[in-house]
Amino acid sequence: MVNNKAILKIEGITKRFGNLVAVDNVSFEIYKGEVLGLIGPNGAGKTTLFNTITGLLLADGGKVYFKNQDITNEKPYKICKLGMSRTFQVTQSFISMSVEDAVRVGAYNRHDERKVEDQVNQMIEFFGLNAIRKKKCEELGLAPLKRVEVARAMATDPDLLLLDEAGAGLNASEMSELMEMLKEINREKGTTLCIVEHVMKMVMGICQRIVVLDYGELIASGTPEQISSNQKVIEAYLGKRAVK
Amino acid sequence: MIGSQPRPESSQGGVVQAVIQNIINGTMMGCIYALITLGLSLIFGVMNIVNFAHGDFVMISMYFTFWASSLWAIETVATPLITFPFLFLFGILTYYLIIHKTLREKYVIQIAITVGLMTFLRAVAQLLWKASPRAISYSIVQGTFVIGNYTIMMSRFTSAVVSVAVIYLFSLFLNHTWQGRAIRAASDDLDAASLMGISYKWTYALAFGLGTAITAIAGGMLMTFQQVDPTMGLRFGLLSFCILALAGLGTTLGIIISGVIVGIAESLAMGMWDPRASSLVVYMIFILVLWLKPRGLFGRK
Amino acid sequence: MQNLQTMKQKRSIPYTAIVLFIIALVLPILFRRSQYNLILLTTVVMYGVLATSWNIIGGMAGQFDLAAGAYLGLGAFTSGTLLIRWDITPWLGMPAGGLIAIGFAVLIGYPLFRFRVREVWYALSSAALVSVLRVAFLMWEEVGGPTERYIPYHDWSFYHLRFSSYIPFYYIMLILLVIALFINHWLSRRKLGYYLLALGDNEDAAEILGVNAQACKLKALMIYAFIGGMVGGLYACLYGFIHPKFFSNTMSLEVAILGIVGGMGITYGPLLAAAILVSMREFLRASLGGQMQSLYLGIYSFVLIIIVLFKPQGLGALLRDIYSRLNYIFRKESPKP
Ligand SMILES: Nc1ncnc2c1ncn2[C@@H]1O[C@H](COP(=O)(O)OP(=O)(O)OP(=O)(O)O)[C@@H](O)[C@H]1O
Ligand SMILES: [Mg+2]
Repeated sequence: MVNNKAILKIEGITKRFGNLVAVDNVSFEIYKGEVLGLIGPNGAGKTTLFNTITGLLLADGGKVYFKNQDITNEKPYKICKLGMSRTFQVTQSFISMSVEDAVRVGAYNRHDERKVEDQVNQMIEFFGLNAIRKKKCEELGLAPLKRVEVARAMATDPDLLLLDEAGAGLNASEMSELMEMLKEINREKGTTLCIVEHVMKMVMGICQRIVVLDYGELIASGTPEQISSNQKVIEAYLGKRAVK
Repeated sequence: MIGSQPRPESSQGGVVQAVIQNIINGTMMGCIYALITLGLSLIFGVMNIVNFAHGDFVMISMYFTFWASSLWAIETVATPLITFPFLFLFGILTYYLIIHKTLREKYVIQIAITVGLMTFLRAVAQLLWKASPRAISYSIVQGTFVIGNYTIMMSRFTSAVVSVAVIYLFSLFLNHTWQGRAIRAASDDLDAASLMGISYKWTYALAFGLGTAITAIAGGMLMTFQQVDPTMGLRFGLLSFCILALAGLGTTLGIIISGVIVGIAESLAMGMWDPRASSLVVYMIFILVLWLKPRGLFGRK
Repeated sequence: MQNLQTMKQKRSIPYTAIVLFIIALVLPILFRRSQYNLILLTTVVMYGVLATSWNIIGGMAGQFDLAAGAYLGLGAFTSGTLLIRWDITPWLGMPAGGLIAIGFAVLIGYPLFRFRVREVWYALSSAALVSVLRVAFLMWEEVGGPTERYIPYHDWSFYHLRFSSYIPFYYIMLILLVIALFINHWLSRRKLGYYLLALGDNEDAAEILGVNAQACKLKALMIYAFIGGMVGGLYACLYGFIHPKFFSNTMSLEVAILGIVGGMGITYGPLLAAAILVSMREFLRASLGGQMQSLYLGIYSFVLIIIVLFKPQGLGALLRDIYSRLNYIFRKESPKP
């Protein structure tokens, strides 16, 4: 599936919070159709990098190209229109809306009034949300909420989906369900995925390639096998644990 | 319009003298505004509680001062001794009765409920003191003194000095006492603070009570040179939010400087342009600051 | 939000609406002998219109707007001035007022949304706007000024929108109410409506899903301002004069409060709140009268606080709870074959 054509190209992205350099001159590419894992210890800057790519934070330096178009510091909704969407680590739900309406917000991205209903139904079907489609997001537990977030992001028909710890807080069976779902998205819809995850089983299970961040810097990239034997990566994780 | 600005004599001194006279007046007024804003910054800046009724606490304080002075013949400058504890209790009561329940609600609910409170206080004031403006008949800080070409009202001068002194004492309190540090800790990180054994409910109540009680001092000072009427609360409320926007959250010195800026702008507009233009200028500053410097001139958050 | 209701409830809404509408049509005939009751009815409907349109910017888009008085005042001054100066009919003056209000909304809203002025600060700056306009019109002697400008008297003229009875005003206001309700209802099942609800709940998440928050908020503000301006045009004729005090902070606050008490984002909520609370306020004002001038305000605000404290989702949500409870009991007792 991987045809080595970059869909997203990140060149030297830097983001500072005061004195803290949360993302430090990071460059890598995401290839069309692949599943890329982005890992790193807590506070490595993964979420910050996502926020910078999707336009929620302004980068202090560097460039982001999406489908060969410069989208650095572009507005989030424009980036979405171009075909990129994401989920959030801390769920950002539309608490007063029902599940199907939340999905509908995403579906309107590429569908007009006449076709939007079909898209909503398709997504609800695909993500198995039929039983709770009329429920308010406010009433949902963490697992269904995370699923709704993936569903509404997918409803925008993205070519690239960024997932920020979609598996955090899920139990084992919910986790494997999510993994199957992501694989299916990637296989059937051809959506490129970039996954931030702490659960190694999931990362190793579905990612074809992995990049590693530590203290804001890119320290390694390669196949899962290469990464799991990489000295720097092991140090980054062990070092972190030794501090604790 | 708040207070009657002493009009500078036109002819000889010319424009420059008038401008300076207005700056002097504005600076003194600004110090009192800063004191009012300090109360709001405890409530909004520290606890993030949107209190639209803050200005109405000032109004109520002014009426209490009026009462204390006219019913019991207590000297105006000394009335805060009575009104301060009273408003403190009042603030604590308000916190426990209505504010506490809204802490976890959207900010919209807080605005709604404090607007309700604002209307309620206004209605109470109208019931107790009727709609017509009230002023005290006598205060020891009367008259004026003259420095060079400039006339300074004793009452305003005293008020400004008291305001700055109180602001200073408050910053000492916040920085150097256990309770003060508890308030700041609770504002920085609620969860960590409650881990350290600080009861956040009591700390919040304390902060709300103090923020309200400060208006007692400001109200007492304002009463020495101007009238009070039941509808003036909203103006003070907007004014103190305006100063807070200018100051950014969290710096005491910033509040004083911003208060003085607003005071001077108001005074210049009133004296040099049109008496009605004061609020126009203040709100224009407010809107511009929100557009251009959303974090205030001295903000750190 | 209709979208939360079951399909059955959805269909039942129009029937209820039609019944209520017929009642609204008949009311002035019942009250025709009392001018006082008629103006009370008109006032209630007017607050209903304002609060219903506030629902678009406040309830749906989540922007706590406190500038209803600004748009109402602009509409009143536009339509009033056109009529006084050039004898132009308010039928043109009202939409003209609406357009001026829109222009102003864009002028103010564009930078506010552009610079992401949010929440409390948006609320405060819109409140400040009302004060700025009031003072500006007080100082602008050619159009405003401190004295009332009276609209020429006509006993009964459709062209000048001057009548010796309040009944025609009531019906025109009712038309505006129907328009406002219709826009609300229509929006709530359109792209813009869903987008507004989404960004009212969570702006970042909405933008990530392709919602242009700035443009959507501006659109919502424009609709709201237009209706406010139209109401203002009618308001001037209703009272027969224009005065800068029309730029009222108190009224703006009240409109927003009605929007919240009615239930954020619920189409019929603000109208319900206006019907209950404004008539209660006026009833209190009338029955307490002279000696207890402001007691009514005290009671009124007390009731407001109680409602917001104990039912923050609003009266609309309360009614919906009761309705579904009744529905449940009813169904249980007599199951349909
Ligand atoms: N808005 C902010 N202001 C200041 N510092 C921030 C902000 N957001 C993140 N940081 C800091 O930037 C660094 C990177 O944070 P980030 O959330 O990107 O890490 P992460 O890799 O996603 O970690 P985790 O695995 O815990 O989610 C951290 O040290 C964090 O404290
Ligand atoms: Mg993260």
